Amino acid sequence: MERILQRDSAALETLYDRYSRPVYSLVLRISQQPGSAEEIVQDVFLQIWQNAKRYEATRGALGPWLFTVARNRALDFLRLKREKQRRREDSADFDLPPSAVVRPDPEGAMDQSRRAEKVRSLMSSLPDLQRRAIELAFFDGMSHSEISAAIGEPLGTVKSWIRGGLLRLRESLEEARS
Amino acid sequence: MDCEQLALLYEEYALDVLEGEERAELEAHLARACAQCTPGVEKARWVVAQLAQMAPDAQPPQSLKGKILDAARASGNVTEIAKPKPSRAFFPAWAWAAAAALALLTGYSIRQMGNQNAQLADLRHQMKLATMQSKALQDQLTLGRMITSVMMSPDSKPLKLMPVDKNMPMVHAYLHPHMGVAITADQMPSMPSARTLQLWFVPKTGKPMSVAIFRPNAEGQIAIIAPVNMPVAEIVALAVTEEPAGGSPQPTTNPAWVAQVN
Repeated sequence: MERILQRDSAALETLYDRYSRPVYSLVLRISQQPGSAEEIVQDVFLQIWQNAKRYEATRGALGPWLFTVARNRALDFLRLKREKQRRREDSADFDLPPSAVVRPDPEGAMDQSRRAEKVRSLMSSLPDLQRRAIELAFFDGMSHSEISAAIGEPLGTVKSWIRGGLLRLRESLEEARS
Repeated sequence: MDCEQLALLYEEYALDVLEGEERAELEAHLARACAQCTPGVEKARWVVAQLAQMAPDAQPPQSLKGKILDAARASGNVTEIAKPKPSRAFFPAWAWAAAAALALLTGYSIRQMGNQNAQLADLRHQMKLATMQSKALQDQLTLGRMITSVMMSPDSKPLKLMPVDKNMPMVHAYLHPHMGVAITADQMPSMPSARTLQLWFVPKTGKPMSVAIFRPNAEGQIAIIAPVNMPVAEIVALAVTEEPAGGSPQPTTNPAWVAQVN
């Protein structure tokens, strides 16, 4: 980030190499549209280039910060899409891209991949509906009440599933860090 | 609620699902920079961000990196390789003072430009969102008007597409010989992105004719209108099947909804 603040475009390239793949995966999962995902990811990296000082002010780990910015942008897009309520006949927009080509892990990616494994393993250990509720919140930006209506379960149950699942995630990640 | 109780809500707040009083109470703590809740929520943001790892792995297009780097370079202020400095001995003191003043001014200007660029980028993003929103609302309004016209027309034939699976909701159709066929439904279940619904006209003779490909929106609603591409008198039934994304030339599954027309 220090180098990005100094307007070093090589630093932006390094940042892109390290984070573009998980960021793109996240945005594509939320938007479900490769064309829009590309545009959102471009916006996210340019925002970092242009607003690096804001990141400096907030500190914290860079990866999660990027994920948060990317998720917010993608959910903005999703909310607009929902409002449209229009026909979606452009089937190409819904096609997921071809399977990913494996690239060598960048420096430091080992921690990230271990953490990713931890998250996936924990989430897959949750009952289907509990996991679905958390996914609807994270990837679809739904509130407790919206999730309750979407999966047809009482509001209290949905709250307790999400709360329980997130607390388990917190504990699991804390264990992994210590 | 005290901080201990609120600590259970940090992740839900970071996930943006928290509503009502719980949200208000936590925000009140954050507004007064509560020493326990503020770092707690920051940490929760980190935890919640890890949920991004659940997204299926996908490779961004090769061209994206070049686009981003080009756009960054085009936004200006890119660092260039420093040129060798001339020897100090060639410059009198007044020149150094002038150079220092110029450097300060340049630094200030660059900082100002940086801030302005950031503000401009924010404004552009906001404008883009507003334009998209406006366009979406206009499209929605136009579609709503068209569907209402078809529904209200005395020349339209209202039809109920009955679900084969009793647990599925009914789909309504309004068939107008010239204005098109309007399809509406509520409480439809969500569909995987690789699947779609397809509406067919079943003629007296010959194969079913594809009319429209559609999916329920995030609220489980369907509201579409499609042209009637054959004489209404020739249509025996309307059918909806589930097909791979993009639709099929002919139905590949049994109809999930059917309505007899003539």
